[in-house]
Amino acid sequence: MPPAIRQIFPYLALVLLGVGVAWAMSFGTLPPADFTFANGDEVKTLDPGIATGSPEHRILDALFEGLLRLHPVEVPGGAEKNLYENVPLKLLPGVADLPEVTNDGQTYTFHFLPDRKWSNGRAVTAPDFVFSWQRLLHPENAGEYAYQLHYVVGGKKYNLEQLEIGDPVEVELYDRPVPSQMYPRGTMIRGKLAGIWKPEKPTFAKDTPAAEQESQLAQWKKSFVYTVQAETKDVGERKYAPLTGTFRYSKDPSAAVAGGFDDGQIVQCHHVLADFDKVVGIRALDDNTLQVELNSATPYFDQLTAFFSLYPVCRECVEKYGTPEWTRTGHLIGNGAYTLKKHRVRDRIRLEKSATYWNREHVPLEVVDALALKSDTTALNMYLTGQVDWIITVPNTVVQQLREDRTDFYTTPMLTTYFYRVNVNKPPLNDVRIRRALNAAINKALICDEVLKAGQIPARSYVPPGIAGYHSELTGDQDLEEARKLLAEAGYPNGKGMPKVEILFNTNEDHRVIAEVIQQQWRKLGINCELRNLEWGSFLDALSNQKYMVSRSAWTGDYADPNTFLDMFVTDGPNNQTGWSNAEYDRLIEAAKHVSAEERLKLLSQAERILMDELPILPIYFYVTKNMVNPRVKGFRSNIQDLHPLDLLSVEPPNAPTESTTAR
Amino acid sequence: MEQPSFPETPAAVAGASAKQHYDRLLTEAASIRGVSLWQDAWKRLRRNWSAMLSLYFLIALGMLAFFTPLLPLQSPIKQNLRDASAENPSQSQDRQFAPPSWQPVSLGLTQYREKLAQLNADLAQASTAERKALEDQLERYENDNPIREMASNPGVLTSAMISARIAIFGDFCLPSLMGTDNLGRDVMARIFWGSRVSIIVALVAAFVSLVIGVTYGAISGYLGGWIDNLMMRFVDILYSIPFIFVVIFIITILSDEKVKPALDRYGINQIIILYVLIGAIYWLTMARVVRGQVISLKTEQYIEAARTIGASSGRIVFRHLIPNVLGVVIVYLTLTIPAVMLFEAFLSFLGLGVTPPDVSWGILVNEGVQAITPIKVYWWLVLFPGLVFSLTLFALNFLGDGLRDALDPRLKNK
Amino acid sequence: MLPLLKFLFRRFMWMILTVWIVYTIAFFLSRAVEGDPFAGERAMSAEVKRYKMERYGYDKPLVSQYARSLWLMTTQLDLHESRKLNEIPVTQLIAEGFPVSASLGIFALVFALALGTVAGVISAVYRYSFLDFSFMTAATLGIAVPNFVLASIAIMLFVFWIPIFPAGGWGTLRQLVLPALCLGAPFAAYIARLTRTGMMEVLNQDYIRTAYAKGLGDRRVVLRHALRGAILPVVSYLGPATAGILTGSLVLERIFFIPGMGSHFIEAALQRDFPVALGMVMVYTMLLFVANAIVDLSYVVIDPRVRLE
Repeated sequence: MPPAIRQIFPYLALVLLGVGVAWAMSFGTLPPADFTFANGDEVKTLDPGIATGSPEHRILDALFEGLLRLHPVEVPGGAEKNLYENVPLKLLPGVADLPEVTNDGQTYTFHFLPDRKWSNGRAVTAPDFVFSWQRLLHPENAGEYAYQLHYVVGGKKYNLEQLEIGDPVEVELYDRPVPSQMYPRGTMIRGKLAGIWKPEKPTFAKDTPAAEQESQLAQWKKSFVYTVQAETKDVGERKYAPLTGTFRYSKDPSAAVAGGFDDGQIVQCHHVLADFDKVVGIRALDDNTLQVELNSATPYFDQLTAFFSLYPVCRECVEKYGTPEWTRTGHLIGNGAYTLKKHRVRDRIRLEKSATYWNREHVPLEVVDALALKSDTTALNMYLTGQVDWIITVPNTVVQQLREDRTDFYTTPMLTTYFYRVNVNKPPLNDVRIRRALNAAINKALICDEVLKAGQIPARSYVPPGIAGYHSELTGDQDLEEARKLLAEAGYPNGKGMPKVEILFNTNEDHRVIAEVIQQQWRKLGINCELRNLEWGSFLDALSNQKYMVSRSAWTGDYADPNTFLDMFVTDGPNNQTGWSNAEYDRLIEAAKHVSAEERLKLLSQAERILMDELPILPIYFYVTKNMVNPRVKGFRSNIQDLHPLDLLSVEPPNAPTESTTAR
Repeated sequence: MEQPSFPETPAAVAGASAKQHYDRLLTEAASIRGVSLWQDAWKRLRRNWSAMLSLYFLIALGMLAFFTPLLPLQSPIKQNLRDASAENPSQSQDRQFAPPSWQPVSLGLTQYREKLAQLNADLAQASTAERKALEDQLERYENDNPIREMASNPGVLTSAMISARIAIFGDFCLPSLMGTDNLGRDVMARIFWGSRVSIIVALVAAFVSLVIGVTYGAISGYLGGWIDNLMMRFVDILYSIPFIFVVIFIITILSDEKVKPALDRYGINQIIILYVLIGAIYWLTMARVVRGQVISLKTEQYIEAARTIGASSGRIVFRHLIPNVLGVVIVYLTLTIPAVMLFEAFLSFLGLGVTPPDVSWGILVNEGVQAITPIKVYWWLVLFPGLVFSLTLFALNFLGDGLRDALDPRLKNK
Repeated sequence: MLPLLKFLFRRFMWMILTVWIVYTIAFFLSRAVEGDPFAGERAMSAEVKRYKMERYGYDKPLVSQYARSLWLMTTQLDLHESRKLNEIPVTQLIAEGFPVSASLGIFALVFALALGTVAGVISAVYRYSFLDFSFMTAATLGIAVPNFVLASIAIMLFVFWIPIFPAGGWGTLRQLVLPALCLGAPFAAYIARLTRTGMMEVLNQDYIRTAYAKGLGDRRVVLRHALRGAILPVVSYLGPATAGILTGSLVLERIFFIPGMGSHFIEAALQRDFPVALGMVMVYTMLLFVANAIVDLSYVVIDPRVRLE
């Protein structure tokens, strides 16, 4: 190396360093938002048909609007009444006016209101809802909330691909523009199902893993051959092929042939599903009228239409970009009060007031930032320094102090239960006496008063209080003597010989502390107890595969009705996950769907009695909200579902300087 | 001079004087040999007061950690929350987030024994009809024994030490001089019990890194040539892997439902896995250093000598080379231990550390950090664990520096 | 010039090899533990799961999945999509996160270098003085305190008691300062110690004495002659320091709410979002290689005796 280069090297290095620093300091800045809140976690999706969590819920409520809206209403009495106590939630017209319901409670007719537009300017129509709800129910969408349309006639049949000979069916041929995208669809054939040919069902050795069995069964189902008498005549807007005659369709023709099918030519298809228009009770009578026919009177159906999974999605947007591309910034078209301006992963979502929203004159906030703030401590720090105007929860260690010192911390009861799931297939937990003993040994009042301290209510039932007209059935109270007796009866006097019990929880300080307290309380019975924590994703994995003994869980009512809690635990319900099954319970839940409103609650109450006797779950406490809201924010109203639509909020004075800018 | 009783041959006389001569030489030699490398190093180390102070501190810490069950401490796991519905409300105390204080605390052993004696007395007088119920009650009461709450799943040695502690100190225990935590547990007891976990972790991990690193480095350096090249390339590759990922990864694999029961059968729990893993990662520097030393040593004459008299490669490596690189190894060992402890704290911060009711310094420090918010500062929760943690790391660093200066002054610059 | 090119080429090839090995091992390991990639809170029907499996190519044999993903990666720089975050391409996450982490890292490194060398030189020049003692105590403390403890104390001090910095977030210089200081502190401490030892050794050498004898002033001798010799250990430490700063930023990005690669990596690894975690690891690996190559190069520049091998 020439000495000259060596000489200039130190200066060169300094210059390079300088350039690096200059580059590192070059921030592109965003103008500050009017209102910034901590959204808890990064959103997993912005697709209403797929979303499940509460961070998504808060954003979707801003981006979309359902047939109806569920809003907290202001009660007279000022801030005190509206912040420190729950205000009632009221259904308001959204895209449509409040529905006409037939006397039997089974048919809802929604009349659309004027000036409801997508953010691209097109009017929101009834066919938009037919499209969106079909998409939600379509098995390929794999929406976890599709079951909310199982109340609709034919909804379950379509969603779970339950086909019977003679059913009207629609076949989607294997000619989509993009095979992995549901929309735009391939050629549709309409007809009647004449027969299903199935190859021999695979059998499994006893020790075959469940996942392996599942995938083989799925492969087996793929090779079914459906014989369809095509009778498509109405070639309308929905692209049905004009075709008559008998055809054979299969999702995997070669597998079918390999499996022994030799009865003619097979056409490959994506799906053979029940004919949506004929089977499912969702109909657009015209552009502005939507009629929904339910299996039975479902008094909370109007509440469901205000829930995010039943929000409409814009067909042209979905077809143009495909899923999940259509939910990206710049692509997403919604019909809510806000539009998606920017989405930076694990940082923020920026929302801007929609120029096409019908009620835009009454939406005070122009620009809103939702921060994906996962750490409660960081969120609190940022709230205290004024960087954030609303945080949705606070660290446990400061709750007591906040309640004593601050007037901007609001705790009110919530429609959420914290409970422990018990895997009833794992001995010794299969013994109901053990489960009762475990329940009786938990000092729930201690957990609420001494550990959580935000006014949580000890839970002796599964359904939280606060649902009008419903009477919860209770478990026994804390009773150590009783617990000891039960344990002895079950064959483990003083816990002698009792296998270790393991509590599983998702990694979180509060869950860990509660588990530690319960661990100590169970030790008093002589039960040895281990803790295990997993991150959310792995935790869900363990839960859904029932790879746990006792597991921390919580459930928030999607609507204010005991059914949202109780229908979880029917045999093999998708959210049961405890392995518990009780025929009488299933019967009561099913029967409740077909009786009068009062009778219904009585039956549900009976079902809860069974749940509280059998205890596949150990209820621990009912949540409270833990909102901290900057006093300059107006229009914040505490409520039982912790719903805070952004279009109700305003700030005073507007545009107070906040530190909220973003790099590049 | 007294004559010997038997005549001496000239040869014998010569032999004796030669023997005397050699004996004298040997004693002289022995007195010269007195200053070995180790003695020399020890002398130098003794002059370094900060290193010596650190050494004493660490020895004291190690002893305290080992004998923790013998010390008159409160239970590290017993929660003291106000329990309105307690069977015996006087027993329950609200000691949540109690600041440091001298207020005396007892284990509750006296109360327990009194009640036990009472029950036994009742039993002695009881009629046969009542006997059964009383016996049951007695048996149940065993679960309330405060001794059971002294440690979670103690081993044989720990149990023995706890019994000895009960025998010596009885009901007495030190007050909560360092306050209590969110569940009313004594912070001082937790620090002591946590030190056991943290120190064992650090030692095991350092030991694992020592074994792997020294063997690997010595073999690589000794064999040389393309094998050396290959082995060192492998180290280079491992160096450029961000190992936090590896650890997280392997912990998730090993805590999987499929693998865990098998490990449990052999008594392997998450702590052990953690430590072995950390050790298996920290061997890289050790291997590099040892290799460098071996390469410079293997051309030394005494190695040549060993080779000429037919010593096998294994013998040369393990008998001659490794003892001579020990100095460097010890220095790096004292610097590996703090790194491991920091890493353990880091994992605890991510929620991947030991699981309750076990406690480690990493967990305590992390709990402390969470207890300082602008709303309320529970300073004792971060001060004491942080102080002990930092002091230990401080001492280890000073000792490492001192050892480095003492053992190999040439290494100063590395 | 030729040796330089040869050196760079060889390093590059090693990097490719390493990344490939890391990728391969991580790929197969992650598939081994990836119980159910689509586990949700609600049990999914087998059919639905099959659709998802097909969409991600999970139904194919493992080896062909591996080949395909390697092909996509090398030919189209496609690192797949996040499994848990709405299928956001990993490359997009890297593109968003890298500048953030890089800014933070550069600042921390510059801060560590500046503070470390200055403190080290002062300590060495005024050795055994009170100044030396306090610097070195502070330096050892910097090494002995975990950076998340340092960060929370710094937040209490400089956000709440003396409110000069914001509590978190990203975007302005003020938001950058506190995390960069916390991130750089342990490395500043280490560099200070290295500089001090190096400096003390160099100051005893003949050429320094010669320089003094020529009548050069203190400042000139120390800065122009001594520092050059003493800085070598510091330069060789920059490689590991870069690695440490990258790892250290995992924690600080979390505490200070910074949307960098560190927070993506940690969240992804803990939630078993393997494509994202894997992508981040590969980027980190490459960064380390580059850092080490630069360190080796600068060694040659600073010390004429060292040749590129």
